[in-house]
Amino acid sequence: MADQQPFGPEASIPSADPRGDPFLSTRFSLPARPDTFLRRQRLVTHLDRALSVPLTLINGPAGAGKTLLAADWAATLGRPVAWLTADGTDHAPGVFWAYVLEALRTAGAPVSEEVGRPAHPGSVDHALLARLAADLGRRARPAVLVLDEFECVPSPEIAEQLQFVLHHAARGMRLVLVTRTEPLLPLHRHRAAGSIVEIRGAELAFTAEEAATLLASHGLSLTGDAARALVDRTRGWAAGLRLCALAAQQSSDPETYLKEFEAGQSTVADFLLAEVLKRQPPEAQDLLLRVSVVERFRPGLADALTGRSDAEAIISRLHRENAFVEHLGRSWYRLHPLFAEILRTHLRERRPGLESELHRRAARWLSRSGSLRETLAHGAAAGDWEFTARALVDDLAIGQLLTGLRSDALGRPFARSAPGTAGPAMSLVLAARDLFRRDVHRGLTHLLHAQQQLDTDSIDSTDSIDTRTPGDAGDIGDTADPDLAAAHLSCALLEVLAARLTGSPLRAEQAAKTAGQLRQAVAAERLERHPELTALLLTHLGSTLLWAGRLDEARSALAQAVRCATDPSTLLPRHDSLGHLALIDWLNGWPGQAEKKVLTATSEAQRIGLPPTLRAGIGRLVLAAVAVDRNELDEAETLLERSAVPGRPPDPVEAAGRIIASSRLLLARGQVREALRTVQTHIPAESVSPWVEEHAALVASAAHLAAGRFEAAVEVLGPTSARRPAHAVAAAHARLAAGATGEALDILDALPGGERGGPALTVRATLVRAQAADRAGDHGTARRLVTQALLDARRDRLRRPFLEAGPWLRRILGTGSNPYLAWDLLSLRPPGRHGPGHRAEPRSPALVVERLSERERDVLERLAQMMSTEEIAADLYVSVNTVKTHLKSVFRKLGVNRRSDAVRQARELRLL
Amino acid sequence: MRYEIRIDGHLSERLAKAFPELDHVVMSDQTLLFGQIIDEAHLYGLLARFQSLGLLVVEMRRLPE
Repeated sequence: MADQQPFGPEASIPSADPRGDPFLSTRFSLPARPDTFLRRQRLVTHLDRALSVPLTLINGPAGAGKTLLAADWAATLGRPVAWLTADGTDHAPGVFWAYVLEALRTAGAPVSEEVGRPAHPGSVDHALLARLAADLGRRARPAVLVLDEFECVPSPEIAEQLQFVLHHAARGMRLVLVTRTEPLLPLHRHRAAGSIVEIRGAELAFTAEEAATLLASHGLSLTGDAARALVDRTRGWAAGLRLCALAAQQSSDPETYLKEFEAGQSTVADFLLAEVLKRQPPEAQDLLLRVSVVERFRPGLADALTGRSDAEAIISRLHRENAFVEHLGRSWYRLHPLFAEILRTHLRERRPGLESELHRRAARWLSRSGSLRETLAHGAAAGDWEFTARALVDDLAIGQLLTGLRSDALGRPFARSAPGTAGPAMSLVLAARDLFRRDVHRGLTHLLHAQQQLDTDSIDSTDSIDTRTPGDAGDIGDTADPDLAAAHLSCALLEVLAARLTGSPLRAEQAAKTAGQLRQAVAAERLERHPELTALLLTHLGSTLLWAGRLDEARSALAQAVRCATDPSTLLPRHDSLGHLALIDWLNGWPGQAEKKVLTATSEAQRIGLPPTLRAGIGRLVLAAVAVDRNELDEAETLLERSAVPGRPPDPVEAAGRIIASSRLLLARGQVREALRTVQTHIPAESVSPWVEEHAALVASAAHLAAGRFEAAVEVLGPTSARRPAHAVAAAHARLAAGATGEALDILDALPGGERGGPALTVRATLVRAQAADRAGDHGTARRLVTQALLDARRDRLRRPFLEAGPWLRRILGTGSNPYLAWDLLSLRPPGRHGPGHRAEPRSPALVVERLSERERDVLERLAQMMSTEEIAADLYVSVNTVKTHLKSVFRKLGVNRRSDAVRQARELRLL
Repeated sequence: MRYEIRIDGHLSERLAKAFPELDHVVMSDQTLLFGQIIDEAHLYGLLARFQSLGLLVVEMRRLPE
């Protein structure tokens, strides 16, 4: 089979849609016009008006000639036209818009890089659409976009988004919708504004003269009366006329045939198709019936469906005769959608039961030529689950079930199959689905089942190759046959994920090692095609190592994951990894860096449109902890509330992050008992996490200190270690409170220079030293140290350590020479008199604020919801510049310079 | 709910099998399809199938139970 392997156009296009599937280039090509196509000038002239209005609708029944009209017009327009043939998978907005952007690119009218692209199949970021509209709006010549077969996109959400882009792109976009059904756009508004051109069924219908010309091109001459009668009978329906011409051509006496047809009473398409079909040779009939189960086909696929090898000749003849078959370019064909439907009915009736066998054959042929999406669709249609799962696993696409990209499309059909009978590949798919949903128990059951079956298989295959000891796992990468290697690698990936969810570092490391060996055994090209596999492995490994307290190793794995190719498929693991890296920063005392990482992750996720339910909760938890460090307690509470994803139980690291952030918040609010109860929450995991335990001890110690139980505060921390700065600082603090000043300083001095951690830790350590100096009566040193601490805390706005320090600090600052600068930067009110540059007390209700306008308030409210300027603009239907103007006046009225300050100030003034 | 749907032209036996849930009877120049329709989704699905088979619906009404 000549066209067996390289998958034609797709292979040359590196980009992929948000599902990770390559774009189907045939969907961007103008449908070819058959030789007998009749150009009807009245329609072309009407359609030319499409260039002067935003929206054009070509609306008519199947086979009315809509597509050919638009294609002919577009082909002869003399300027780039972006063409997209919609299909059933476009229900998902992310996929739809990715295809629209790709259509513009293919047509040579690409949008700028800044627009970004949707990363998730199911959603598209509103800001992305706003950027797209702005990009189109700036163009000197409008972009012409034709969406053919738009009836396949019944989603009201997409219709709304199209309307939004169309409205905001203004003169920069000309949209032509070719559809059988009325689209959900606000047509009445367009009609009232005169901003729409409509070509509907009646106009598309052939006139008697046109019908006569069309039939003449088929070599049939008609009198005026005969043409009128024929148009009457077919209602001027293009497909009917075409079939009629074919049937008449094939009959011995065309004229009599036409007369008989005119007098008949049958439904036109049904009758004519049967007529034309019955005149085809049996091989062609058989081929037409069989290819009706696939959306598009190549001669090779048609051969696989018929079991013969004559497809190429038959298809090219059918296409030449303009009977049923349309050419999509690059030897891809499809049946005319109208005939495909009727042919399927014929197939079911003539060959009952054959349909699922055909789906099975199609799936097998497609799997060999590399189109995973179509393979999966036909495998599922055949109900052949193990084969379908095997295709997914062999392609190394298992990771896509863990990035939320393919989980919807695949999870649902698989859910219907009986789990007891699952083979290894099926078990892997089920395990992936359950582990992604964090249903650890069921996931592990499936995974174990898969492992057992795979082990049996590899023993069998190893035995047949040589006599090596069966199950010699160390050599698995060398001996396993390539097919099984993909399954074993998928298994290892799921093992690492299972290890992460159960907090077992040993298991994770072992599985990661196995995965490393197996990577050698699978085709490098497949690994490259699935960067998400590597990114997920590293992320899950990093998360597990982080849980185990091996922060440096965790950081190196996570940083590698972040550096993985920026592909939609790696977005989720990279996002997740950044969140974990932020937690590591925070644990090491670098709240500013932690915040920066989370914000980077969030803005990328927003830009590309990762749905909030998939965003890692760990990032928000880190932000909450940072907010507590800064004494922004209300903000911390909001972040904590919003970090929980309903219906998705947290993994150990996330659970720990939540416990730490909420217990710190409770401590800061003086709710000591609740804080203690929070740190005692049990996190189900196979190993204990040293930093989680340490943190529990820190909170307990702080609780004892608050209650004046100094000895207990020292006791609960246990022996100190120079390698754990947070613990050492807390221990020194407790000992100082207990009166053991010398011991406290010894502990701090024992900390090696490179291990002191970031400002969150060093500021606390410096304050302990300052307090020690103060107690020793050395006020000068104490003041110097406090100033030092203030300066260190300034950049990260760390207020908490100062608020926790106790009354001695206020005394020192009260006598200081000029600490106002530092106080001011901390936004804390110095005790006693008011200094220069000092801000009003945060909660003071007396602060006079110029009243905000309604619009400014709208902007402020959206700002508080963490929306970007572009998003606010899109949401309020105003330009980005208008939003910026409003923001400036809001800042001025509130006396702030930053967004976060504006929100905080507004909250404190109860404006929000 | 029971519906009756009138299609323009004679529907072949073969194509009528595309609607196994409906009975049909061929009239002078039309075909009458009738039967139980489960819900609105079914109804709209049927309409889409008529359209995709190139059938012209000329009348459609709900029958009294």
